[in-house]
Amino acid sequence: MNIMQTVLSSIGQKVLLATTGLIMFLLFLIPHMLGNILFLFGPDLFNSYAAHLHKLVPVVVGIEVLMLVSIIAHMNTGIRIAVANYLSAGKRESLKSTPERSLAARLMPWTGAMIFIFIAKHLFDFTLGVDKMQVELNGHMVDDVYGMVYAYFQNPGNVLFYLLFMVAVGFHLSHALQSALQTYGLYIPREGSKIKLLSKFVAIAMASTFAIIPISALIYFYY
Amino acid sequence: MKLDSKIPDGPMAEKWTNHKFKVKLVNPSNKRKHTVIVVGTGLAGASAAATMAELGYVVDAFTYSDSPRRAHSIAAQGGINAAKNYPHDGDSVYRLFYDTVKGGDFRSREANVYRLAEVSNQIIDHCVAQGVPFAREYGGYLANRSFGGAQVSRTFYARGQTGQQLLLGAYGALSKEIKKGGVTMHTRSEVVDIVVIDGQARGIISRNLVTGELTRHEADAVVLATGGYGNVYYLSTNAMNCNASAAWRAYKKGAAFANPCYTQIHPTCIPMHGEYQSKLSLMSESLRNDGRIWVPKKKGDTRPANDIPEDERDYYLERKYPSFGNLVPRDLASRNAKMVCDEGRGVGSTGNAVYLDFAEAIERLGRDNIEAKYGNLFEMYERIMDEDPYTVPMKIYPAIHYAMGGLWVDYNLMTSLPGLYAIGECNFSDHGANRLGASALMQGLADGYFVLPNTINDYLASAEIPTVGTDHAAFAEAEKTAQDKLDKLLAVKGSRTVDDFHRELGKLLWENCGMARTEEGLREALEKIPKLREEFWKNVNVPGSAEDLNQALEKANRVADFMEFAELLVRDALNRAESCGGHFRVESQTDEGEALRNDDEFAYVAAWEFQGLEKEPVLHKEELVFEEVKLSQRSYK
Amino acid sequence: MAEKINVTLKVWRQAQGEKTGRFETYQAADIDTDASFLEMLDIVNEGLTLSGIEPIAFEHDCREGICGCCGAVVNGKTHGSHERTTLCQLHMRKFKNNDQIVIEPFRAKPFTIIKDLIVDRSGLDAIIREGGYVEVKTGNAPEASTTPIQKELAEAAMDAAECIGCGACVAACPNGAAMLFVSAKVSQYALLPQGHPERTRRALDMVNKMDELGFGSCSNEYECAVACPKGIDVKNIARLNREFIKASLMS
Repeated sequence: MNIMQTVLSSIGQKVLLATTGLIMFLLFLIPHMLGNILFLFGPDLFNSYAAHLHKLVPVVVGIEVLMLVSIIAHMNTGIRIAVANYLSAGKRESLKSTPERSLAARLMPWTGAMIFIFIAKHLFDFTLGVDKMQVELNGHMVDDVYGMVYAYFQNPGNVLFYLLFMVAVGFHLSHALQSALQTYGLYIPREGSKIKLLSKFVAIAMASTFAIIPISALIYFYY
Repeated sequence: MKLDSKIPDGPMAEKWTNHKFKVKLVNPSNKRKHTVIVVGTGLAGASAAATMAELGYVVDAFTYSDSPRRAHSIAAQGGINAAKNYPHDGDSVYRLFYDTVKGGDFRSREANVYRLAEVSNQIIDHCVAQGVPFAREYGGYLANRSFGGAQVSRTFYARGQTGQQLLLGAYGALSKEIKKGGVTMHTRSEVVDIVVIDGQARGIISRNLVTGELTRHEADAVVLATGGYGNVYYLSTNAMNCNASAAWRAYKKGAAFANPCYTQIHPTCIPMHGEYQSKLSLMSESLRNDGRIWVPKKKGDTRPANDIPEDERDYYLERKYPSFGNLVPRDLASRNAKMVCDEGRGVGSTGNAVYLDFAEAIERLGRDNIEAKYGNLFEMYERIMDEDPYTVPMKIYPAIHYAMGGLWVDYNLMTSLPGLYAIGECNFSDHGANRLGASALMQGLADGYFVLPNTINDYLASAEIPTVGTDHAAFAEAEKTAQDKLDKLLAVKGSRTVDDFHRELGKLLWENCGMARTEEGLREALEKIPKLREEFWKNVNVPGSAEDLNQALEKANRVADFMEFAELLVRDALNRAESCGGHFRVESQTDEGEALRNDDEFAYVAAWEFQGLEKEPVLHKEELVFEEVKLSQRSYK
Repeated sequence: MAEKINVTLKVWRQAQGEKTGRFETYQAADIDTDASFLEMLDIVNEGLTLSGIEPIAFEHDCREGICGCCGAVVNGKTHGSHERTTLCQLHMRKFKNNDQIVIEPFRAKPFTIIKDLIVDRSGLDAIIREGGYVEVKTGNAPEASTTPIQKELAEAAMDAAECIGCGACVAACPNGAAMLFVSAKVSQYALLPQGHPERTRRALDMVNKMDELGFGSCSNEYECAVACPKGIDVKNIARLNREFIKASLMS
């Protein structure tokens, strides 16, 4: 059996999905979240962080390329699996889901799609589609990322949009993390699994942390 | 017809070895020129088909189910016997042989039974190699438990699902050969006739149960592994679709049918509770190790069990058989239950049940202990009966369970029709008049894995078997007969359903040819059955068409055969004016009411030869000679 | 205590060769609550037969919960309950007077409907044929006690081996996957030393066949384990994943 066959098998696809998901989780989502926390410490620190990040071009570009590849592979695999599974199931008339099947699990393809839309809009809003103002920091002119973010979240519509998508991220992660581990062969029991709990906890914690910026920006503005 | 049992010469212990050397062999490159049809994929059929394919024969296997894994062997709970003597308790091939002959009430053929005991150990070896997850001790070695009728622990088991695990092993072997192309599997295919050409079984007509199409299959030999006929009684522990049709068609085509009156009635089944009931469920015999069987002393006592004081209970088995108590053999336990119920002392809504009480055992051993031993059985009981057996005594009643009788076969397992073999429960050979617990699985696998693949070659190598082609007139005729019968069933358009008729037949047999049989009752049944059959053909209502999946038609076709077979069963019971094993003739009992054998007149196998439906069949007797085990009356007092 | 109830059935009817079917409504009157679900269907069928309507086709055989023939989605649940019970072991006392009972066949793309409630589950056999066994010829076996097997392993293998092949896991899976079924067989032989020589090939071939037949993939939602009348655990799926990944890396 060759490698392509393995990758294209049902379990192979799941492994690919889990792996690309974990890459994005570990190399993008976690660092991004940690960076976002700096927003709470004021413009100087946040802008300095952004400026330093821009100096690490080779690393950043490397990661960006890896992200791009991962996103494409993750989406491609995810869509393929979702479509194949939809076709495999056939049309059921009366079958009901049980509580065993969490809402998060049920919504995986949809939260996935939402996250994609969000990322696209997010990139456009903060990276590609805006002319950044310059601001002075320790005698150098740097991009005023802080100001841009702050301004952006003065619009409650943007906050709402952002929060909505954080909910999607939370749901997606809460199933994804434990599911990925079971795909790798780690036994996640149906009942009383600590990993299931941990998975939910991490998902909620991350989504909440991401939600801090818009909420704090909004509070700061109105306060 | 002349019955030749072909028992090999020589000392008992060497017969099988000598025989394997003396039979003719088919050279490896010639094996692929021989096609063998195997009907049924239970333990016997699946193991035979797989093993013959491994040897190189071209095998066509048939099952009415959607998968070979569904055969009723799967429902066997208790275990499989073998003479391994792992517990070091004095077991041996000879003891297993001895126990089986004695347990069969001296109505089986010694040479066959000895061979069965001899190959029993190989079965365990083979099944373990297949990955059957038998129970093990902490040291990693195989565990054994005890069963009725033996003083040693020789039963291997896989929880309460031994039959399932052994069948899945055989199904795996069969799957392997299907994959390799050695076996062509025909699922959802029911055999509707056996084709006989020039006195040899040369093929079958099968019906595709989805499309209704009849197809012809030619072969050099036909093996029937179609199980028992317990469903003739309507209610039994057999699966709903178990039937006697293939064996019955074989009988009508010239194969002798042996000892049909030997039916095993299992004492611990969940009682019937209404007209609508479709089948009976067995509770493992092991329950009698700790449960105490009783009924109220007073007739018609309707008080709840727990309200009946100790001194108003009759622990009748303990009273009558002090040394064996509740652990008397199956036939005795069953018959005594019937006797107390007939006296009007039965319990439950129908009065046809006795109590199996664990209160004393729970007090003695603790509830936890009982739960560990019988938990799954108690759960199953509660599910069906909606009563908690930990607090309320179980209600049990005997039910038809196994057929010791079947197609007559010689030592090679060939019926009296050349080229037609019968293996497993389908044949009559090894259990005499009563089968011991955990021996059915042993026999099915012995026949399929180890005996038939070593004896069928004798016929294939020596018989003249010309290729005839399925265009042969005999195929056309058999197909037409089958089609006509189906059309006829559909054309009746009467006012009673198939089940309705089947129920009536079953009731008639159960009452007149059940646990206690009298000449009068049997004669009455012999009169009534042809009348019922006549009415069946005039008034049955079979909906649908023959070119479709039509379960009512399948059933009607089987019940039509039961209507004929029942008569032979009763006739055999009438002929055998002695009591032995599962066959109890009221006229033949000791002063104490125990079964009384008559070895002078009845130490023979009754093999019946078909003469046409309107004529009485001819009885052929195969005299049974006991060289090793001395004939003696069983006593369990 | 037993009582009599009346229930209304909405049963999926689909004639042979029809692309799709429809729910038909029938009354089941005076049903003893001690009757099993299939006995209730028997009664309804007798009534239908006598009134000139073709009886409802449904598969069944042992009626003891072990052969794996029976099965339908009843009121939204596979086998009608999720209490480790096959349809044949479900009793009418679980229903109330005047209940409506919706009965639908087990559905999945590889389970084509043959007629009414009968579906084609031969795909499960096809998967087993790819290696759901130990390849040992009759006569090859060594003495049974040659290899001791740790009791815990033997028990775990037996837990997996209890599968009855009814297909409820496939029908309950939102993806129509057969992972629980395949994993049970792969696990049995992965746990026992007898299965080790073919371990790699078995995992790859059985999964490939499963994919080829159009069964879905596992999204770890565990509906299968809830549905399984024999309580086969999802730990077997984790084991199958390990076996498959290991086998892929080794081949």
